[in-house]
Amino acid sequence: MSNSAIPSSTIRMEGVSVAEFSWEVRSPLDRALVAGRHGAHGDAGVSLTEIRNFDLVQVMARRGKTSEMAKVAKARFGVTAPVTPQTAPTADATLIWSGPDQFFVLSKGGKHTMVALGQAFASCASLSDQSHARVLISISGAKARTMLAKLSSIDLHPAVLGVGAAAATSMDHTSVTLWRGGDRGEQAVFNLLVFATFAESLWHTMLDSAAEYGVTIGHSGELT
Amino acid sequence: MRITCPFCGERELGEFTYLGDAKPVRPAADAGEDAVYDYVYLRDNIAGVMSENWYHGGGCRAWLKVTRNTLTHEISAVEPAAGAGAAKVGA
Repeated sequence: MSNSAIPSSTIRMEGVSVAEFSWEVRSPLDRALVAGRHGAHGDAGVSLTEIRNFDLVQVMARRGKTSEMAKVAKARFGVTAPVTPQTAPTADATLIWSGPDQFFVLSKGGKHTMVALGQAFASCASLSDQSHARVLISISGAKARTMLAKLSSIDLHPAVLGVGAAAATSMDHTSVTLWRGGDRGEQAVFNLLVFATFAESLWHTMLDSAAEYGVTIGHSGELT
Repeated sequence: MRITCPFCGERELGEFTYLGDAKPVRPAADAGEDAVYDYVYLRDNIAGVMSENWYHGGGCRAWLKVTRNTLTHEISAVEPAAGAGAAKVGA
């Protein structure tokens, strides 16, 4: 049988002409991410870690419902949702500012999914599941800030982008949400959310930028 | 050129896109053909201080109203456009 278009009614499911798809969940960085040691020899200056299997929900206030959304968020998470480019950590989630009157809820383990949050925010906010729409990359190491400075036009100095600060910005013409996580020892940890389809491109750019410092690449299921 | 986004702070031009004159106001439904033609097609070519719409698409995705001198590129004011941020609608 030829591979040209076949009316669907003639496709026999048991036939070899039916394409075989894999429906397993895969990271958008599945091909690009090669775990291990890359770039310059010596101590790795940069560590790039993809965080997998997270729940990410965008919460956007409806018209005139900002204060109601803030009340619901406070009741649900026990902290004030960020109204400026900041993050608000809770016991089991991180709230990340993503624009005026909107924020992300980043979590693991199904506690703060669309279904879980939908009821609480039904009267005041629109929710959008971004769990499989974004890639989360954690960047750390002694040269992390130096590497990011090559790609970012915002001021990454600790006095400006301190622990917990967030930014909606662009890197390599790609929109990203960037925030400082808690320091690891003496070193800053930068977290970055990027659209899934742009992730591979930005990943390669970051790898090129980091190569001169030596890079350790890996992936993890744990939020930092 | 840098624009200080009221939500994000000072950012490079590359994060923004330009829409144009912020002054034209959509005419009423019964305003007539001339008013609609003026609103859709006719623009002043201002040499001096101008009110412009910009979009912070590379950042917080808010629409902004920027007051800019087209001769010097000096920006004297940046404010959220109507509808930027649910809290500001109608304000």
